[in-house]
Amino acid sequence: MNTHSVDLSVTIGKLELPYPTFMGSGCYGSGEEFAPFVDLSRIGAVVLKSVTRLPRLGNPTPRLVHTPAGMLNAIGLQNPGIDWYLDHDVKKFAERPCAVVGSVAGFSVDDYAYTVERLAARDEIKAIELNISCPNVAHEGETFACDPRLTANVVRAARATTDKTLIVKLSPNVTDIAGIAREAEAAGADALAVINTVRGMAIDVETWRPRLGNVTGGLSGPAIRPIAVLAVYEVARAVKIPIVGQGGIETVTDALEFFLAGASAVSIGTGNFTDPRIPVRIVDELAEYLARRNCASLRQIVGKANVGFANPYQFEGDEG
Amino acid sequence: MPTVSPSAVHDVTVIDRRELAPGIVLIGLHAPALARVTRPGHFAMVIPPSGETAATALGIYEAHDERVSLLFFAVGKRTHELATLKIGDPLGVIGPLGNGFTIGDARDVAIVAGGVGIASVLLPAQRALAAGARVRLYYGARTRDLLVERERFAAEGCDVLVATDDGSDGYRGYVTELLAQTHEPPELILACGPSPMLRAVARTAGEMNVPAQLSLEETFACGVGGCWGCVVPLVRDSAQAPSFPPAERQGSDVVYARICKEGPVFWAHELRW
Repeated sequence: MNTHSVDLSVTIGKLELPYPTFMGSGCYGSGEEFAPFVDLSRIGAVVLKSVTRLPRLGNPTPRLVHTPAGMLNAIGLQNPGIDWYLDHDVKKFAERPCAVVGSVAGFSVDDYAYTVERLAARDEIKAIELNISCPNVAHEGETFACDPRLTANVVRAARATTDKTLIVKLSPNVTDIAGIAREAEAAGADALAVINTVRGMAIDVETWRPRLGNVTGGLSGPAIRPIAVLAVYEVARAVKIPIVGQGGIETVTDALEFFLAGASAVSIGTGNFTDPRIPVRIVDELAEYLARRNCASLRQIVGKANVGFANPYQFEGDEG
Repeated sequence: MPTVSPSAVHDVTVIDRRELAPGIVLIGLHAPALARVTRPGHFAMVIPPSGETAATALGIYEAHDERVSLLFFAVGKRTHELATLKIGDPLGVIGPLGNGFTIGDARDVAIVAGGVGIASVLLPAQRALAAGARVRLYYGARTRDLLVERERFAAEGCDVLVATDDGSDGYRGYVTELLAQTHEPPELILACGPSPMLRAVARTAGEMNVPAQLSLEETFACGVGGCWGCVVPLVRDSAQAPSFPPAERQGSDVVYARICKEGPVFWAHELRW
């Protein structure tokens, strides 16, 4: 098997990508910020920072703290609101040499439907990620993604406004992520992003104050990878729609864990803060790995750690 | 402060390593492409050699010919790792990043540095001296041994005035008190150091009616403007304020600017911190 003939392409809903790599929402600006450091034509898609119906100043500072094998953040969805965003920002996204996925957050079902409808109407936006799981704007950490009924309501309302691919981003801060995933699928989600950050907190022992202005934050990075791999594994057993796996991916080995657990694609967020070359390196090494394992296509290995369960994909030349 | 430069990921080699004081390390790099485009006040993100999560933001100390150097205090896991680098080791460096100092045609410049804030002020000092300006360096540290590279600044042509917390050298007390005592106010103040010192510089500069540029320090995640983690409140009419909806739509007369992107150098009178 030749490295160059390995098929790394993925289909997520109606979104067809040459590479199975998303850049995580909120970590990558609009892609432009990273363009000097990485060839954007060699990544699958950029997921934009979430936009809301109204402008948001975001959380007070400090917004970041480094923690073992990761970091806590509490940005608080700073964004200019959908009106300004459509008028000033979205047209620039057409220049990106990769797919651009919009991300929408909100505080009511109506917020989501309104913002998704307006954003999805733009040609520059190829798909929409529903961020129903941001832990940093929620009351006591409760988000839409923590409740199966609210998840279903938001997804159904967003679904009614657009035919574009809807990716629903799930929260790990729940007891039964598979149950939430089933609700999202039944309500019309095309794909699931698994997982958002894990709630966390850090305290300065000199000042006796929380180290984040928002008190609590979302933990990302390798510290949460095993939590994310398990979440993908459990969700993959529960739904038939594709999964974009994410949580602490920095190497091809990390990405492979997610593919084997059942992710069709992976998303890199915090890893870009370690080295912006990581996404392209993962793609290159993924092709080498698959060639070495005599796999013509990435699709052949998706979910292969899920022994005995019916994979949503049936692949040509599947030898597994 | 429009000094945006073309930045890139540079694969460089360590060519110098010196411990200037306990915990304070200077790493010299063979980095011709980076040296060429670095301007005063720029910083770099250093990729951890061990793969430890998240690159480390460091001010660029020297940039000339084919050499760039970084000067830092080994305080955390990632800076301790950088402190153990040896001559010949490879290193990945992203830079130059940020908007730096603007010296313009100021003829009399005061530079205020606290601790390893000294790392970001050699390049602006050299730039001002090359333009024929008088440059006074007000340099403060906890104790005498931590006043690294003071001879270097003197050799470059700066008048060096020092302050130590313990009185082991120069003025006993804060370096900003020393600045406030001057009978010859400068035309321009440039400063880099811990946040309490920068706030004091801003106050003192206001009292002296002298414009001041402050290089802010904050925890960075991306370092390139992608994550909005390192923001500082700025007046909306600042030339550095990022594009955002009108205040009446947002209910605030400040706007958060990214320290890594719009900064790290800001005009003191435009900060609302």
